[in-house]
Amino acid sequence: MMQKSALFMASLRAQALKLFLTLVLVAVVTAGLFGLISVTGLTHGSAIYLIPVLIAATRWGVAAAVCAAVFGILASAFFFFEPLYSFQIKDPHEVVNLVVFTFTAVVVGQLATRLKRQLELARQREIDLSDLYAFSRRLAVAFDVSDIHAAIEDHLASVMQRKVILFGPQRDATAAARHAGSGIPTAVLDMVDSMASGFDAGGGQAAANGTIVAGDTGDVWLVRAVSASRREFGVIAINLGRASPANQDALRARVDTVLADATATLDRLGISHAINEARMRSQTDQLRDALIGSVSHELRTPLASILGAATVLGAAPALKDEKNLKALVQGVHDEAERLNGDIQNLLDASRISSDGIKPHLEWADPADILHSALRRCQRRLGERTVTLDLAQDLPLVHVDAVLVQQALVQIIDNAVKYSQAGSRIAIMARARGDRLQISVRDEGAGLSEAERATVFGRFVRGERLSATTSGSGLGLWIASAFVAANSGKLSAISDGPGLGATLTVELPVAQSAVPQLESDADE
Amino acid sequence: MNDASPIVLVVDDEVQIRRFLRTGFELNGFVVHEAATGSEAIRAATLRPIDIVIVDLGLPDMDGSEVVERIRSWSNVPIIVLSVRSHEAQKVQVLEAGADDYVVKPFGMAELLARVRVALRRQSRASTGEPTVVVGPLTIDLAARAVTLNGQRLTLTPKEYRLLQVLAQHAGNVVTHQHLLKEVWGSIHVHDTHYLRIFVRKLRQKIEPNPDNPRILMTELGVGYRLAQMPTEGENGWAAAEAGAEQRAKP
Repeated sequence: MMQKSALFMASLRAQALKLFLTLVLVAVVTAGLFGLISVTGLTHGSAIYLIPVLIAATRWGVAAAVCAAVFGILASAFFFFEPLYSFQIKDPHEVVNLVVFTFTAVVVGQLATRLKRQLELARQREIDLSDLYAFSRRLAVAFDVSDIHAAIEDHLASVMQRKVILFGPQRDATAAARHAGSGIPTAVLDMVDSMASGFDAGGGQAAANGTIVAGDTGDVWLVRAVSASRREFGVIAINLGRASPANQDALRARVDTVLADATATLDRLGISHAINEARMRSQTDQLRDALIGSVSHELRTPLASILGAATVLGAAPALKDEKNLKALVQGVHDEAERLNGDIQNLLDASRISSDGIKPHLEWADPADILHSALRRCQRRLGERTVTLDLAQDLPLVHVDAVLVQQALVQIIDNAVKYSQAGSRIAIMARARGDRLQISVRDEGAGLSEAERATVFGRFVRGERLSATTSGSGLGLWIASAFVAANSGKLSAISDGPGLGATLTVELPVAQSAVPQLESDADE
Repeated sequence: MNDASPIVLVVDDEVQIRRFLRTGFELNGFVVHEAATGSEAIRAATLRPIDIVIVDLGLPDMDGSEVVERIRSWSNVPIIVLSVRSHEAQKVQVLEAGADDYVVKPFGMAELLARVRVALRRQSRASTGEPTVVVGPLTIDLAARAVTLNGQRLTLTPKEYRLLQVLAQHAGNVVTHQHLLKEVWGSIHVHDTHYLRIFVRKLRQKIEPNPDNPRILMTELGVGYRLAQMPTEGENGWAAAEAGAEQRAKP
């Protein structure tokens, strides 16, 4: 009740202010008219009071316009019609004049008010349409279910200018459990849950009509399903603030309109189908990644035994003069190592797709990263000559050095795999503006235009050479994901098939952000 | 320490790994004890004289760094841990807990043997108080605070010398970034990795015969630095085996 009287007082104050401003306008016009009469000798100018009427009508609505008209009539009668300084009017001709003026004022006032309202509606509609357009654009690039839900949520929040929370249809946990302690009133969460479960029992229409729930801080919340027929769009809760019942109805009507537009957009884009499909796809992906992860882990333990045992055997005194046996053991070792590399790639790949990569950023010297990468590739280089060309004073980079090194190992491995023994691999590192460029150039198989476009894809292998080279097609995909995780970019250029390729890693160098040594660092 | 045959305690829950480690060590003149769990390892280390401990980090009953900490609480026996790749944070943690070095699984016997020999040599140097560390052409005399490269005396700033000194005290073993930062610049700079990067660059300009291709002050990415020419991760097990044998032949 307190709130209602407070609201009423506020609106009363606004009305009084409008009335006062109208009065001031009439007074100003009266003063102006006085000046005009004294200069030009005009006799009567009641028509001039149409000016405050028009201003009041367009600014403050029809009530203010009528007030302006009444004040205008009174002022004309008092100041300009005989007898002066009295509200009486002698001349019947002027009475007719006043009646005509009153009529004109009211009609003009009403017209102006209506025009203003239409203008506002048109403007609102325009904003709605541009919001809706932004909404469809966002849906078009939505990648998974949570993107779509976030788009719906943001759209509603931006149109309604209020806090909006969308609850996706989770089957495994209640909203009350998922959002406990998030500041959303419990009563609202319980309503969301009961609506979600009621939906299955045919309560779609009821859910879409919505319910007003009082929160514990005096705010009221509107809880309703996004769509009466589609459960997968979820349930929303909108904080209506301390709206009065009349105001609540207006807001609910507005929500109805916005949601009708939004669901029409969702239906038009076939989002419902997409949501269901995306959910299935992401479950399959998760399952596959988990499987790859655990299988790879299980495979690595026996491989560690095989590799270790092979090195013990190879160095055993008993095999010292057994050249053929030694070659066999070396074979076991090399094949096991190759397998280990493939398994590591699968593990890296599942790590990229299952939980994303969380780089551990530190200041690192690019030369250190390159030397470590080369050290790890050393044995696989075979008879290829590697030249390492590092610019003096390369800037430090703020990256996960281990990830960048692993990306470089993949790139160098790839260069080795697609080039002949005896060819050259040139590695170069340069600072170029705010980027550090590390490029690896080989004299190998090169890339055609089509291959260049797909070279960083997952499970993509060069068609031309797939028969003669081994691999999973994961290497460069992993490299580009690892580089991207460090805010970098991996690109490939080639003069064409057979003409070699250059892969370039670009990493950001925040020159100004490199922390300066404190002056006592070397004391 | 028994000069004739050093005693190694191998701690791993995988029987096949223990088997190849036993054979590999025995072929190289070690006496081998085995443990399959952390608690067994701790018991074995208290009951017998041990010269070096090899611990796998993936033990079934307790965390690898806990085993290291428990053994470290009463003994300064060298400890080398076996870890899997991509777990730099874990490596750092176990090194901070007191391990001397780590080897990444899968590894070759020669690589592990080389690490073991470095750790044993450091242990004997510490016990005899030998003040000179030699890494190829570089000689660091810890007692006289003198550094020479190919016989030429080098001039180092105080911080450069301190950095080299900490590395030399652990010559051959990896020293973590945090440890170096704490020892050289103090605990408040323990996260200022860029200090290290800049000073390592300066130091390499002075102590490396070819600073563009460091062979003395080696980087262990994501973990720390190591002073020595050691066979490292990813290098050929065979070549490393020979290198290891050569190193062993040197005095």
